[in-house]
Amino acid sequence: MINDMLSPARVAWEDLQERLFFLPPFPEALDSLALFSMLLIVGLLFGEWLRARLGWPKVIGYVLAGTLFGPSVLGWISIEALAQTRPIADAALGLLMLEIGRRLDLRWLSQHRDLLRAALAEITLSFTAIFLFAWGVVGLIPAWAAAAAAVTMASAPAVVLLIVEEANAQGQVTERVIMHTALSAAASFVVFAVVVGVVHAEYSDDWLSLVVHPLWVVVGALIIARLMVLLALLAASRLPKRSLAQIVILVATALLAVGIARTLAVPVFLTLFLMGAILSFSDRERTLSYTNLPEGHWLLAIILFVVVGASLPWQDFAWLTGLQALGLLLVRAVAKVAALAWAGGGLASARRVLVGIGIQPLSATAVFMAYEIAGLYPEIGRSSLSLPLFAAAIMELTGPALCRFALVRAGETAATDSRKRGVA
Amino acid sequence: MSQAIAEFRQSQALTLGVELELQLLSVRDLDLTRGATDLLGSMDYDGRFGEIKLEITESMIEVSTLPRTLVDGIAADLVGLRQTLVKQCARNHIAVCGGGTHPFHRWSERRICPGDRFAEIYQRYGYLAKQFTVFGQHIHVGCASGDDAIWLTQALAPYMPIFIALSASSPFVDGEDTLFQSARLNAVSAFPLSGQCPALRDWAEFIEHFSFLQSCGIARSIKDLYWDIRPKPEFGTVEIRVCDTPLTVERAAALAALAQGLVRHLLRTRPALNTQQHLHVARYNKFQACRYGLDARISHPIGLRQVSLRQIAGELLVVLAEDASELGCSAWLELLDASLAVEISDANWLRRRQAVHGNLNDVVREAATRFGRAERMPLAETFR
Repeated sequence: MINDMLSPARVAWEDLQERLFFLPPFPEALDSLALFSMLLIVGLLFGEWLRARLGWPKVIGYVLAGTLFGPSVLGWISIEALAQTRPIADAALGLLMLEIGRRLDLRWLSQHRDLLRAALAEITLSFTAIFLFAWGVVGLIPAWAAAAAAVTMASAPAVVLLIVEEANAQGQVTERVIMHTALSAAASFVVFAVVVGVVHAEYSDDWLSLVVHPLWVVVGALIIARLMVLLALLAASRLPKRSLAQIVILVATALLAVGIARTLAVPVFLTLFLMGAILSFSDRERTLSYTNLPEGHWLLAIILFVVVGASLPWQDFAWLTGLQALGLLLVRAVAKVAALAWAGGGLASARRVLVGIGIQPLSATAVFMAYEIAGLYPEIGRSSLSLPLFAAAIMELTGPALCRFALVRAGETAATDSRKRGVA
Repeated sequence: MSQAIAEFRQSQALTLGVELELQLLSVRDLDLTRGATDLLGSMDYDGRFGEIKLEITESMIEVSTLPRTLVDGIAADLVGLRQTLVKQCARNHIAVCGGGTHPFHRWSERRICPGDRFAEIYQRYGYLAKQFTVFGQHIHVGCASGDDAIWLTQALAPYMPIFIALSASSPFVDGEDTLFQSARLNAVSAFPLSGQCPALRDWAEFIEHFSFLQSCGIARSIKDLYWDIRPKPEFGTVEIRVCDTPLTVERAAALAALAQGLVRHLLRTRPALNTQQHLHVARYNKFQACRYGLDARISHPIGLRQVSLRQIAGELLVVLAEDASELGCSAWLELLDASLAVEISDANWLRRRQAVHGNLNDVVREAATRFGRAERMPLAETFR
């Protein structure tokens, strides 16, 4: 469609080229920087408009912008352009995963057994319920049912962090939503690594890869994360706490981790999550504890969600898969709310349910994980993973609203005038 | 709606009660956080050491001891309240801390607690209500009659700079060293009915004065009087309100001992008051104590000269020795006496830690750790 619209311009340009020697060839693709800027502007405008007019979380606007302009609808963002923006999306997701990892306080968990019990119940029940649904009801083979469960069992760290920041939420429901999101993300990564091995076993006789690939994923991520933490702490310990220089060190080491993970084909989200968690646990001198990521990283988050929106496979939509995805989300929602309502975690029952609602988002990590498995087996993977991908697509639009609803109902958001607030 | 003043409830003279306003902190960055209603909602506490209740913003929690005859009883209650709070806060992933101000929080981020009274205060005072996220210690001393309570509001007034200097623990505001030892009282002084109680002779004259304020529409209830010292008819006490919350409950108990010893001394000796002369210098002396702490020089309106606050604090502790001995609180006053000699005020401690760390987050972290652990307490055998 775009090509048809541009063809008169191309002809005119080529005519001019014959007379004006300095004109470059007609630009076939948008420059990456220009693309980056356009995604930023479009996503931002959509997000702000939805927030101001309907009171919806801005992240929904970013995803809608990506969906609208992506390959599934208008096609203005091509698949090639999406591939161009992937490093930026990886960097954005990496920084958000670093942040959720930093918020994982294992000491709190060790002091609060109720919370640990609630986390274990939520993780176990979510995985089991989704696996049984995908296997027993949808009819996937166990390996793909396990893959679907691994991809969709966790909440969405990036969405939860954006909603918490946007709503300026503080309180026990918020703390628990963040904690359960971080823990379920961690569990999801571990299960994902195991599932990658199971998928290998299903489709390959290569036993070496079966054992080594999950190890490569987990151990590789751990080693990169640990090394980057050591580097970050070593450099930051020589600088004043909370200084701009420390912020630069934190961001630079995180981006270095993203780069190394991409180079070695280790999942970026897992590496950065581990980096954050190790940083939180090992920074005994509190060298970087008070150093926050710069406000600018929310700009990257806009790109991330526009890219995620554009990556959603709406063109493959089928009613049956859509209904199955809705069923999966229903089972998942019941499992999460039931686990938290039962196990508690030291809250009144109404607030436990709110925590269960707050951790419903399902997003970028799920989409990237699904594509990662699909990438290993391009012919089989994509169709087998359409169930979790559609579930992620539906939840991409409803998850942020549910999370925000839970925090508002808990009375933990600040009363803000949206017109006065900046990005995210 | 205006409320009539309750009848002065007679109480046993010299009984004590202490209220402390405490800071609720995020464990992650040690900034103030929203936590008070959640904390109270999740708490399973039987009230054995006194009350734990909300204050104006969600980042504050107030504890108050039961009425006690001995300072040791107050100290035991404060320790019990501290342990209860520290344990519950840990379960809620927050920390609790003393100190008169939070060194670096942003007042605009504070949230008003739910409740009609707090909403009404916010409507009335606007941003001042959020800026009132400062943390004080209030000491109640039992009075046999309303007349005694009013007499004590006048008799105690000249000693307020000593209480301010000995409790000072708020040198930092908005991330800056204010150069004050107690910057908290600057937030209080913005309120229209703050400051000194006017010259009143007895309870009848106080009722007349308050009725006048009500008729003029200035005050609705006695809670509107933010005086440095005020009567509290529901409790049958006189309430000293100038102290910062110290960094430890042990120092809070020592300040209660000073109040008890001083009230006993005043009631026993009934000195001439010279209220009008003292009122002339009260604001100046209060400023000096806030600004310089024990290094202040304050005005002596009778001797018509300036005197060292440290010197008169030391002399007062000597004068009170006999009363303290009778009340069984000598050891607590010795704690204060020791701090006069070696310059270990809470404000100075905070500044020294800031100099060591170079940032205020670590200072608050250490202050929270210090608040949570037991310090040396001169308890009598019965309370050990």
